[in-house]
Parts: sequence; C-alpha cells; structure tokens
Amino acid sequence: MTAAISLEAVVKRYGGAAAVNEVTLSIGEGEFFSLLGPSGCGKTTTLRMIAGFVAPDAGRVLLQGTDVTNTPPNRRNVNMVFQQYALFPHMSVYDNIAFGLSVKRVPRDERDPRILEMLKVVSLEGMEKRRPGQLSGGQQQRVALARALVNRPAALLLDEPLGALDVKLRKQMQLELKRIQHELGTTFVYVTHDQEEALAMSDRIAVMNGGLVEHVGSPREVYERPSTAFVADFIGSLNAFDVIAAELVGGYAVAQLDRGGRVVVRIADGVAKGAQLRVAVRPERVHVVEPGSEEHGSVVSGTVVDTVYLGMYTQVHADTQLGRIVCHAENPPRPNSSVTLAWDADDAYVVG
Amino acid sequence: MGGGEGRLTAGRRARPDLTTPGLLAPPLAWLAIFFLVPIGIVALYSVNVLDLLPEPHAFTWSAWHSFFSNSIYLTLFWKSVKMSLIVSALVVAVAYPLAYYLALSGTPRKYVLLLVLIAPFLTSYLLRVLAWKVILGDQGVVNTFLFWTGIRSAGHPISALLYSRFAVMLVLGYVWLPFVALPIFVSLESLDTRLLEAASDLGASRWQTFRRVTLPLSIPGVIAAFLFVFIPTVGEFITPSLVGGASGYMYGNQIVDLFGTGFPDWETGSVLSLFLLGVVAALTVVFSRFMRVR
Amino acid sequence: MDAALSRNGRLLLRALFVLVVVFLYAPIVILLIFSFNNSQIPSFPLSGFTLHWYHEFLRNTDLRAAIQTSAIVAALSSIGAVALGVVASIALARRRFRGQAVVSALLLAPLVVPFVVFGISLLLLFHTIGIPRSILTVVIGHIVISLPYTILVLVPRLAQLDASLEEAAYDLGAGRLRTFRSVTFPLIFPAIVSAFLIAFTTSFDEYAVASFVVGTRETFPIYLYSALRFPSQLPQVIAVAVVVLMISLLVVVGAELGRRAAERRLGEIEPT
Repeated sequence: MTAAISLEAVVKRYGGAAAVNEVTLSIGEGEFFSLLGPSGCGKTTTLRMIAGFVAPDAGRVLLQGTDVTNTPPNRRNVNMVFQQYALFPHMSVYDNIAFGLSVKRVPRDERDPRILEMLKVVSLEGMEKRRPGQLSGGQQQRVALARALVNRPAALLLDEPLGALDVKLRKQMQLELKRIQHELGTTFVYVTHDQEEALAMSDRIAVMNGGLVEHVGSPREVYERPSTAFVADFIGSLNAFDVIAAELVGGYAVAQLDRGGRVVVRIADGVAKGAQLRVAVRPERVHVVEPGSEEHGSVVSGTVVDTVYLGMYTQVHADTQLGRIVCHAENPPRPNSSVTLAWDADDAYVVG
Repeated sequence: MGGGEGRLTAGRRARPDLTTPGLLAPPLAWLAIFFLVPIGIVALYSVNVLDLLPEPHAFTWSAWHSFFSNSIYLTLFWKSVKMSLIVSALVVAVAYPLAYYLALSGTPRKYVLLLVLIAPFLTSYLLRVLAWKVILGDQGVVNTFLFWTGIRSAGHPISALLYSRFAVMLVLGYVWLPFVALPIFVSLESLDTRLLEAASDLGASRWQTFRRVTLPLSIPGVIAAFLFVFIPTVGEFITPSLVGGASGYMYGNQIVDLFGTGFPDWETGSVLSLFLLGVVAALTVVFSRFMRVR
Repeated sequence: MDAALSRNGRLLLRALFVLVVVFLYAPIVILLIFSFNNSQIPSFPLSGFTLHWYHEFLRNTDLRAAIQTSAIVAALSSIGAVALGVVASIALARRRFRGQAVVSALLLAPLVVPFVVFGISLLLLFHTIGIPRSILTVVIGHIVISLPYTILVLVPRLAQLDASLEEAAYDLGAGRLRTFRSVTFPLIFPAIVSAFLIAFTTSFDEYAVASFVVGTRETFPIYLYSALRFPSQLPQVIAVAVVVLMISLLVVVGAELGRRAAERRLGEIEPT
C-alpha cells in the first residue's frame, strides 16, 4: 500500500548546520501523524518541505507515490493551516474558504454547497459574511481549517495551530480536530511542541531532536517504551539514575543499595554483570510505601524535600541514594520526614 | 508556476530565480538611462569630450584646473556651504525641542500634531517662497506694517529684509524646518523610556538624564536631520534667485548661469556640477556609514 | 514623576511648539488675507475686501493652461513612478538577493542628488541625443525624482504585511500573478494611493528640474516663477497660491487620515 506521504532521507541545511538531517518518514492514508519536538528540532522545516515551501538539499518527498520534490507548493495536493492562520483580512469568511476553489476555477454552483458543508463541519454556520477581524481566535482557527479542507487535499498540514489559544479552548479544539479528522478521513500531519497534545490526538508520533527523528511510534509506545533518553525525557516526566548491575537474574539486573534499597530492572541480552545502567521510571509508577514493604521489586529510602500540590495529585520530591526522585501521592508525607519509595520492576526500563 | 520562487522556496534544487531580475529590470533600466547616463554625460562635457559648440575639441582637464586654481568658484562654493551650515544648524536646533515634545511628553495626539507640523512641507515650495517675498519686500507686509504703525517712517524701509543673505537663510530655514523634525522624532520615539526611568532612579536630574542618556541616543536622528537639510540647501538656486538678490547669490545660481543664454560655458558648468555632486556623495557615504555603525 | 519632562518643561516646549506652528502657518495666512485685499500691491494698511483677484486668475487662460499641463505631467509621472516603484518594492521587500544594498542605494540615490545637477544632466542628455524638450522630458525627469518616494512608502508596507498571507495563497493553488492580484495588491492599495499622491504633489510643484527640460508648454511652477517678476501679476498669483496651498494641505491631511483608516479596517493596528 502506498504511503500518503513519504520522506526519503531529506536534508535541509541552513548555513553550516543541518536543520533537517536525513529524515525518513512514511505516513499512512488517513493517519493523524504528529511531529513532536522542542523548538529548533526541525519539525516545522520538515512540514514546510512536505508543503513545498522549502526545497530539500537532498532526499525526496513523495505524495501518494509521486515524487513532488521539485513541484512548487501551489501544484501539490496538500494544504496547510498556518500558525497564525494567515486569513486574508480583506475577504469575508466565505471568500477566504472559496479562494482555493476559485483558483482552480471550480464552477460556482459546485463551490457553494461545498463551502456551506465545510462551514457545518467546522461549526461556523452563519458566519460566511463576517471578516476575519470580527472573529475570535478559535473561530479564525476554524476558518483556516475550512479553507484548507474544502479543497479535499490528500493531506492536511498543521503548523502548531493551537498555540495562540488559551488552555481550555485548546483542549476543546484538540477534540474538534480529532473529530473532524475522523469524519473526513483526511491524513493529518500535525506539528507541535506540546507532548500532551501529541499524545492526545495522534495515531502515531515522530519525536524529533536536532534535525533527527529519535522515535516513531504510537502514543503508548512512545510514552511507555521510549527508545532514547531524549524521548524518555521529553515525553512526560521521568526519574533517571545510574546503577551498577551487580547480579543478573532471569532477564533482570539487580542492584543492591545501602540501607536496604534495591533496584530491579529488565535488561536486554548481552548486558554484562557489573555494567553501568541508566534506569528510568515514571513518577506516577513510584509509590510511597511502609518501610520494609516487599510489595514491589525496587525500593529505596529517602527524605522528603518538597511537596507540590497540583490539584489532581500531589508531587513528592525526595532526596534518596539514587538522587532526586519524584513520585505522586494522595496522602503526601510531610517535608523533612523519612519516606520509603517503591516501584515494580517492569515499570522501569533502561534508557540508551 | 515555473521559475524559482525566490525566497518562498529556498534550496539547492530551486530553479534559477527569474523573477527578481525581471522585477528589478524596469526601474533599474529607467534609472540607468535617465539618471546614471546623464551624469556620465556631464562628466564628458566637463573634460571637453562633448562640447556645446561644433568646433573641434579633445579631452582635457583644463576646465577642472581652472576651477581649482581660480578662486572665484571655490569661494562661492564655500559661501554656499557656510550659509547652508548656519541654516542647517539653526533649523536642527529648533526642530529638536519640537520633536522632543512630541515624542516624549506623552501627549496623546502626537501623530496628529506631527502631521500639523510637517504638512506645510508637503505643500508647494515655490508658493511658500512667494509668501516671504510678499512679506519681506520694501513695500511688503513687514515694512508697510512698520510704516503704518509709525515704527519706521514711510520711505525708510528695512531694505535688508529682502534680496539679502538673510532673506535666503530665513526662507530656506522656513522651508526645511517642518521636514527636519521628522527624523529626530523617529529617533526619540524609539527611545526606551525605561532607560530614562533607570537614570532617574539612579539619581540623575532631568537635565542630566537628557544630556547623558537621551541626547547621545538620539544623535543618529540628529545627524540624519542635519544632512536632510544641508545637502539640498548647498545646491539651492531657486530661493536665492527669488529672494537673494546680488548678495544672496549662491553656487547653484552660478551653475544655472553657466548654462543660461547669456554666456554659456557648458564645460565649466559641468565641472561645477560634478564638484557639487562629488561633495554631496562623499558626505552621504561618510555619514551613512557612521549612522549604520551606531 | 515624568523622567523626560518637568511640568514647566512641558509648558515651555508646548509654547515653543505653538510658536513654531504659528510661524509656519503665518505666511500662508498672510497670503490668504492679501488674496482678498483690494490693492495691486500687498502691503499694509489693508484696502478692503475683494474677490477680484480670484476672478482674474480664473479667467487667465495662460494660467489655466499651465495648471492643466502640470496636472497632465503629474498624472503621467506619478503613474510611471508608482508602477516602477511597486515592482522595485516587491523585489526589495520579498526577495533576498546579492547586491541588495547596492540596488537599494541606486534606487534611492535621486534623493541626495541636488536638483540643479540632475536638471543639468537631463538637459545635456536630451541635447546630446537630440530629443527636443517637451512635456515628455519633464515627465521623464519627474519619474526619476518621485521613484524613491514611492519605494520609501511601499517597502515598509510590504514588509509589514504578513508573509504567510502570500504563502497561504500559494498553498491554495494560486500562481504568482493571482497571488498579487487577490492578496498583495488589495492590501497595499492604501499605500499605493499614498505613493501616488506624494508623487503627484511632488511633480505638480516641481520647478528646479522642470526649468531645465521644459519645452514650450509651461508647467504651473514655471508659469508662477516668471509671473513673480511682474508686479501686475502678483495679486492673481497670490490668489492662485492660496487655492493651491489650501487644496494641497487638505489633500495631504485627508490622504494620511484616509490611509490610516483604510489600514485599520484591514486589520492592521495603527497608533493614533
């Protein structure tokens, strides 16, 4: 099956540095695919290469099997939703949405129903005659969406479209976008630096850093089994510390700590006894337990340094032999008290 | 759309950008033919390669030699420079407090007031010179007012008002004052007022703040303003011819006369023209570099 | 406490401002007064109210011809300057290219060249090539003079325009020409009008260069200049001057306010 969008080892250099460094991606038909990473990682440049605003210095861009690397943006069958919407201020909502259709000379009687239908899809019926200046941020966003989607592109490219909205509106729009994408079945390529957003909306995520793709996978895969330390650290928060694999027992490494602590973690084949391992475990998998409890595989003791109330849960920061460990608790112990933290062996993993 | 997209698509495989040269060709061609070539022709006349008269002629530096050895023209040039310096300095000195007021006093209508200040500059130059002719003459507004009120007796007008250096400088100052306020205003407006607050917080009085913070930071605007008035007035000939009389005769008038119908000397006139152009170009280059550095 | 001005300082400067504005507008007001003065010579004391001079200048066919000539020259040269200016401004504002500084400098150079030198150079050009002086030669000269002003108005406006608007048009399938027609042009239109008006008023009032390259048909400034040598013409000239000055003041202020309003309506934020 041909991928909807395919990038083959694309490279883009600015000055001496590579903003996009041999990126290869294959995005499937109807997928909601996100490019996630910190600013400067190359995700926007990659998106603009798909759109055609940036020509790669090496590599190919294919849309549904056809090489479009040298095709200018106005001849590619993809459409973009810009970060600040780029709505034409001098045209009404209707004319904005109609623009792509009028350029392709779609006859008026076909244009009209398509535009009205699209207005319904984005929940903006009745707004046709308004001008962008008279709309709220969220409404402008939806016009930008409609303007792109009405052309029935092979894929929709979204460049951090929700960045300008406040948190509540953003969460609403995330659901909206997901719904629209399902309804229309269009391939979405979504650029964001917000990992929660990417996890919430995507079918698959490509985590990028410094021009490279570090991990491509479903949200669950990327969250629970990150392939690199960067990904692990970027997505969600993470406790990480170094231990020496003192014993190897049935696929796990065991490290004994002073004062009765112990770390057990699953390891790959070929890890030798005595090797230094960097181990990571998510805060929500770390539990506060009674001293001496044998419920979980790994255990360590420490002193509570700080507690941070976050409404849904309380973060507990403790200094331990392994360094600073953060966990979540419903009944947090008081600062400066002793505390025992534990987690299941299978909830931790070695990061590369 | 074929052809490179210029800045819109950048990359190794963008086709050569055909549109930028296409866009620039008409304006550049126009300027090449009707601006650069004519100046070149002036240069040719100045060395006698081209000449007004059909008699045989050949390349020679003689006109340039005469210009520099014969002190008449250089003296006249220097006179024009002095007059322009005085006018420019005074006009900038008056415009600065005006611009300061508009930019830093916090008045809410500063752009409207700026427009009011600048508007006269955007009306007719010639007509504003005419207005002063009417005002300054022996039978003009000022003098007849003085007669009427008895301050001076009729038949004894202040003749030095019109057809004098004073008249030329007054009128030139009047014409350029509105315009000069603009670059100073722009410079002061872009000043971060928090700098002034910081200075004040550190104990400086308003005068000290002005002298040590505001003024130095507004120097680029002041220099721009000075050049905006100095460069045009050095080569002025219209105002001197209308209100300058004999004593207000300037370098520009000399150039005009050399091309006039009386005793045309296109060779010398071209030399004078190029000299003026050279001085102006040098000033522009020197000061634009200075302003960019800051 | 205001770090920039004390209360007294502010009063002082405000007084200076008022004084200067009075100084700037007084001569115009004086012309206004004397345009209604019933005397051949503008002098005190005033001789009584009359509209005679306005009637005279309206009947003066030479004067009317000169105004018409200037209007034609101004219209033609403004169209030329704006057309060249739009094209040059797009290249400067939207394209990055080597030699940009040099091209900029060349396009703006006419601003610093003294008019006497430029006028002479055109005179020599036309003489050497053998083109007779006429309205056409004046138009040519005025296009050169006005071109930098149009660029100075249009480049900032284009730079201010969100570049992603043009990208969006591209993305939606529009070619370069369609993008310009549907997106860029409507949004820079107020600035184009401004540029046109600046070019028009510059040309209409231009004496220096015109004096060297004008043919037999006089432009308005040429007519004025020669009329100033004849005392009998003076009152009429004053009347004309008043009309022209008033109109140009209104045009200037109106155009600027109009441009601000238009741009505000297009969603750009302008300080008031």
